[in-house]
Amino acid sequence: MDLNNGTIEESGPLRTRRVPQIPISAQSRERKEKVIKTVWFLTALSAILAIFFILLFLLRDSLPIFQQAGIVQFLVGTTWYPTGSPPEYGIFVLIVGTVLVTLGAMVFAVPLSIGCAIYISELAPLWAKNLLKPAIELLAGIPSVVYGFFGLIVLTDVIRTTFDIPTGETWLAGSILLGIMALPTIISISEDAISMVPREYKEGSLAIGATRWQTISQVLIPSALSGITAAVILGFGRAIGETMAVLMVTGNAAIIPDPIWNILSPVRTLTGTLGIEMGEVAVGSDHYAALFGIAVILLAITLIINTVAVVILNNLRERQMGSAPTRITILQNLIARLRRPLVICGLFLVVIAIIMIAPLSIALPTLVVLGAAYCVKDRLSPHTAEQVAFCFITAAVIIVVLILVVLLQDIIIHGLPALSWEFLTQSPKDLGRAGGIFPAIVGSLYLVFGAILFALPLGVGAAIYLIEYTTESTVTRIIRTTVDLLNGTPSIVFGLFGLAFLVYFLNFGVSLIAGQITLGLMVLPTIIRATEESLKNIPQSLREGSLALGATRWQTIYRVVLPPAIPGIMTGTILSIGRAAGETAPIMFTAVVFSQRYLPSSLTDPVMALPYHLYILATNVPGSSTNKYGTALVLLLLVIGIYAVAIVMRSHFQKKMRG
Amino acid sequence: MNLKLNIRLFVTVGLIVLLAGAIAVAGCTDTMQKPGAVPLVQKQSIKVSGSTTVLPIAQKAAEAYMATHPNADIQISGGGSGVGIQQSGEKTVDIGMSSRDLKATENTKYPNLVKHIVAKDGIALVVNPKNEIRGIQAATVADIYTGKITLWTQVPGAHVPDTNNQIVVIGRDSASGTREFFDTHANGILKGTPPTKSMLEKNSNGAVAQTITQTPGAIGYVSIGFVTGDVKALPVWYNDSSAAVAPTRENVLSGAYPINRELFMFTNSQPSGLVADFIGFIRSPEGQKIVEEEGFVRIS
Repeated sequence: MDLNNGTIEESGPLRTRRVPQIPISAQSRERKEKVIKTVWFLTALSAILAIFFILLFLLRDSLPIFQQAGIVQFLVGTTWYPTGSPPEYGIFVLIVGTVLVTLGAMVFAVPLSIGCAIYISELAPLWAKNLLKPAIELLAGIPSVVYGFFGLIVLTDVIRTTFDIPTGETWLAGSILLGIMALPTIISISEDAISMVPREYKEGSLAIGATRWQTISQVLIPSALSGITAAVILGFGRAIGETMAVLMVTGNAAIIPDPIWNILSPVRTLTGTLGIEMGEVAVGSDHYAALFGIAVILLAITLIINTVAVVILNNLRERQMGSAPTRITILQNLIARLRRPLVICGLFLVVIAIIMIAPLSIALPTLVVLGAAYCVKDRLSPHTAEQVAFCFITAAVIIVVLILVVLLQDIIIHGLPALSWEFLTQSPKDLGRAGGIFPAIVGSLYLVFGAILFALPLGVGAAIYLIEYTTESTVTRIIRTTVDLLNGTPSIVFGLFGLAFLVYFLNFGVSLIAGQITLGLMVLPTIIRATEESLKNIPQSLREGSLALGATRWQTIYRVVLPPAIPGIMTGTILSIGRAAGETAPIMFTAVVFSQRYLPSSLTDPVMALPYHLYILATNVPGSSTNKYGTALVLLLLVIGIYAVAIVMRSHFQKKMRG
Repeated sequence: MNLKLNIRLFVTVGLIVLLAGAIAVAGCTDTMQKPGAVPLVQKQSIKVSGSTTVLPIAQKAAEAYMATHPNADIQISGGGSGVGIQQSGEKTVDIGMSSRDLKATENTKYPNLVKHIVAKDGIALVVNPKNEIRGIQAATVADIYTGKITLWTQVPGAHVPDTNNQIVVIGRDSASGTREFFDTHANGILKGTPPTKSMLEKNSNGAVAQTITQTPGAIGYVSIGFVTGDVKALPVWYNDSSAAVAPTRENVLSGAYPINRELFMFTNSQPSGLVADFIGFIRSPEGQKIVEEEGFVRIS
């Protein structure tokens, strides 16, 4: 409680200093308050402006293709052949590719995630919990280009040799990678949902003699079902907008797998198409417009998905508060009614998948075993059932941890030999095969700090306006919705917007500042959310106390509310830095160059950046093996280091607040 | 009180770290520019972007040029031929690299673009070294790329040990100059027929080569500058009576290798200053030596 003392002591001297001025400057003081409020209101509008401009420029640049081909033809056309004569722009095949890869990712990620979430929230001893949670955050922190790099070098090769197919660049590879990347989202939100189930439910169930597994499967999971659903949908949304990893491992052949469940076929996604074709296309051509058309469709898909998830989560929160019970029961009824058909469909898909992948000699026994398991399931004693279930859950946890370990050890073992003082301090030579990555490290730092410099004032200002100056109203609801929309926008869409608006329309060219603003817009929602959360945690009584002593609203915010909120804001900011440092898609068309001799001397110069350098080394420069692993390791260390600082800081302050 | 102190501490430490970082960066910049620097002359920088085929030539030439001209900063980025032409036309870069000539639409949009031939190039058909094939007929290549032939066993002399001999067809993305040449040019292979839809698309020469080294059953096409020991370049012949011609520099220079073309740099109006000097350097005997070192063919 030294918190209270500190702030009040501080505001004491302030008051005595200011008191004599009040009568003289009361008017100017009021004016100052108004100005400050207006400034924060304007920052709050920034999110709306960002979404507005993104939509405006995507639509403007995609308009020719919709006019020419017609939106229906664009959506259902099955041939993507922009260089043909006449060129064909049908993205149906790309949509199918996107959906297939993402669905596959969910098949892989959902069981693992739910297993992990159950383990963390219900079964894990404290030490395992303390180990697992950071591990999963680490998984979330690994940049997508590093996943793609790992997928390209290791995973596709494993798939190629395991299934004895000509190339490992397949739907399966994309799904596995995306699945891994969706794990952290699904795990953390499901875990929240499970731990939000009231204790009484659990205690009641255990008290009437149910086993722990019966309690989990019959009480906890059904109660948390809508939260888990939202988690899966959000994971789905994250996976659908992912670019770099998918682009590097799916082969990018614009075909629908034949037969449709052939997971060993190459596919091409919407994001992958943008990633490989956007840089090459002649600006203003139909092809260019068609790519922006793809971005519009992609944005629409992700927005719909994210909105559904947000609605479900909000319902959940309302139910927690005790209101709006009817809607939720309807939803639950619906889910309950749909469960049986869904389970049957799922089983059917799994059976087909097994038959397709494995040769008959393996598939039949597997199916027999599974069938037998299903038949004896109900006859098992509760105790045995519990043991079996816990085995599966433990297996899920072990798999997730193993994935992390394999990934890290591969990059560390191959990357360490490349690390040297020269590697860190020299410019690249011979297309990056020799020399170092110094300009890329510096370029990445410039980009990230510029982005934060741009986003921090806007984000904090918007949050202050939302929390401190207004009550719930239409305006705040619109602002919150746009923040959600911005949060769900795929990073490649930010990249396209940066290209159309900053690089071409404002004529910044490929430059540091274009990249900084693009990245800044991308992290803006994270900063707004983090700031809002930490402002909400400041007790209302502190504000009331300060206002009652005669402090103005701004004095209250500046002297009383902001200081204790700073740790939370800083944690959010550092997390944003980590995210921005690892992103490739937003900067590859707006800010980066392949190589550069000097460091950028002004904001209009382009820069090198670590993630892009890794992408180029991994995909375009054969024979750069040591250096590309070295680059991957440095990028990984940089991002993980940033995240580690944030995590340590958060737990430090959490302990402090509690104690 | 404690908490406040802590925050101050954090902010101060953060600021110190930032400052130290900035000083370190500034210090390193200094040392980076120092070797042989002539302090009084203004630093000059030009931007080059475009075709990934021309990129290694420009990159190496820039490195050599900057070694003797300490105040020149030549920034090179890829993007593709379309980007190179568009950006030099819009003056967002000083030099646009392209592996193809201007299209009619580009010619009318950017009438001021001046073309400089910097090298000659052949497009080599490459396979994984594990493939036992020694040479290939142009018509067979066309059949492979249109999907009529899908197995290496259907190609005379070809065999990939330890695989099911399926052909993995690899091509370039729709915006690439190399692909355009391969698909539509009279000296290309497909002459307008669209390639099979199951072709894997890569967005650079390097990416094609990279995939081929990793994939035993693959076939792809890259500029001969990208043919390294990791991939096998195939001699090509047109009909049964003619001999197979290997994609070598001599054969491209003499015109004996049929799939050949010129590589360009475009400038907006006649170049001057550093831009002119740099292009002149590439076209000079010294620059053309770099062109050859990179595996391309000199202009004459």
